[in-house]
Amino acid sequence: MNIDTQIKELAFARSGDKGDISNIGLLAKNAECYEIMKKEITSERIKNHFGKMVKGKVNIYEMPNTNALQIVMHNALGGGATKTLRYDQTGKSMGQALLKMHVPVKEDALERAKKAEADIYKKYSDPDWGSKL
Amino acid sequence: MKKVRIASGSAFWGDMLEPAIELAKYGNADYIGFDHLAELTLSILQRMKAKNPSAGYIPDIKTWMKAILPITYKSGTKLITNAGGANPEAAAEEVAKIAKDLGCIGLKIGVVAGDDISPMLDDISAKGIKLKNLDTGEEDIDRIRDKIVAANAYTGANEIKKCLEEGADVVICGRVSDNALYVGPLMHEFGWDYSDKYVDKIGAAVTIGHIIECSCCVTGGMSNMWKVSKDPWKIGFPIAEVDENGDAVITKPEGSGGIVNEWTVKEHLVYEVHDPGNYIMPDGIGDFTSLKIKEIGTDRVRVSGIKGKPRPETLKVCIGYRDGFIGEGLIMFPWPDAFAKAQWSEKWMRKRFKLLGLKPDELRIDYIGENMLHDIIATLPDTDSQPNEAGLRVVARTKTRAEADMVRREASHLWTAGPVGSSFGAPFNPRPVISLWPTLVPREEVKPYYFIKEVTA
Repeated sequence: MNIDTQIKELAFARSGDKGDISNIGLLAKNAECYEIMKKEITSERIKNHFGKMVKGKVNIYEMPNTNALQIVMHNALGGGATKTLRYDQTGKSMGQALLKMHVPVKEDALERAKKAEADIYKKYSDPDWGSKL
Repeated sequence: MKKVRIASGSAFWGDMLEPAIELAKYGNADYIGFDHLAELTLSILQRMKAKNPSAGYIPDIKTWMKAILPITYKSGTKLITNAGGANPEAAAEEVAKIAKDLGCIGLKIGVVAGDDISPMLDDISAKGIKLKNLDTGEEDIDRIRDKIVAANAYTGANEIKKCLEEGADVVICGRVSDNALYVGPLMHEFGWDYSDKYVDKIGAAVTIGHIIECSCCVTGGMSNMWKVSKDPWKIGFPIAEVDENGDAVITKPEGSGGIVNEWTVKEHLVYEVHDPGNYIMPDGIGDFTSLKIKEIGTDRVRVSGIKGKPRPETLKVCIGYRDGFIGEGLIMFPWPDAFAKAQWSEKWMRKRFKLLGLKPDELRIDYIGENMLHDIIATLPDTDSQPNEAGLRVVARTKTRAEADMVRREASHLWTAGPVGSSFGAPFNPRPVISLWPTLVPREEVKPYYFIKEVTA
């Protein structure tokens, strides 16, 4: 059964700027999440999610070597850091905003995604994590 | 196999100093790069230089050099910085004085300049080269010609490499790409050049430079790992141990805070990148879709198999031009009815602007803590909700400073005319807007140069 799920459950995000272009790197929490993201996250859906915040085109690039998507959004920062009226001049919060978008995810895949995240934080909570690699 | 340790000591004008000192003392680095320039910075520095011909560089360089030179003069670690900004020659003069005072006699300072192409803009246009705005597609540069305050090319590592070949201990650059601060020493140490033979190696240098160039942004800063970052108040700056074959281990000084793991490296790999298969820098193109990332120990991540493509025939130029003003005001409202008071005040503000005939180019009103960051994606609370406090931010872009000041003044009038309890801090001054016009020019239009200056007794 598909569950309407926020991308937050599937990926970490980090966003930044160049001029008026906002880019979001989405790092899938496991390989299965990456496959779901590739299928469900489209330029149209992203444009629709951001509405008037993103005025230009949206390109999506795949990075299969790191299970990451690179999302590049044009005319997306209110004119760019030096002239925008947004408080977040450099779009650092744009990645977090994308995590709010919903995609359909199968129930068992969602469970595995949640476990993957829990495992990641558990692993690095051990200060000596490197000795157990 | 020969290894070179390169480290990042600064990511922006205003970065932390102590982790850079830590790198110098305990990082065992061969080179430390210091980036202080963002897209807007050159416009600010050019204005400083226009007022005072011996200014125009990042003033922090003095503090940084006073703290770090005494360590690296002894250890032999070389320092490479773009703090020269709009005036690398003047920055070098200043650093030479500091070095002399510190007794660093014989210190060789390399100076890299020639990135300022503002004097050549008309000649370049006259050759029929269109300085098309990469963001907007606009080609009519004449529209902004008399408003231009800066035009600097992002130059490559070639002159840094030459300074190092001539024995420079410190290299002070203008607007070289942030990336070149790291590519330069690797080219120098490993004997890499721009020939086809070294395309993958330079691609690796570009990629490794990218991974470390924003200081703590790869060691647990700006990270999804914030919850598991160790002693984050003592965050360490990154070091790349680079092999001759183009692989590298990303790490940080032993005992420093923060975290380096596969996620922090991946986070930075995707940071401020467009097409990850073509990360275009003046020295080469990094392909981030080819490499492998592997944790090999606590705070040690290996990056291997990096591929590259030949450097582009064009260089990116960032043109900054005057483009009006921004006026801003901020006011906070306490319980009870905090959010209702904020809504009432938004209406008040809009009516006041109308009454006064203010016609800003753009007006924005945010509810602080509600939709200031996520805008339309955020859901606003109900009017009768009872948060502890609510805030209103009013900001407008205007053609004149007087109009921008009106925005600030009206926001401050809510101090007395607003709902009971309205609270305020110090008002913001109106600020001038510098808009950016990113463009490309053929490589041969930019003539970077270098020279060496020795500190004598």
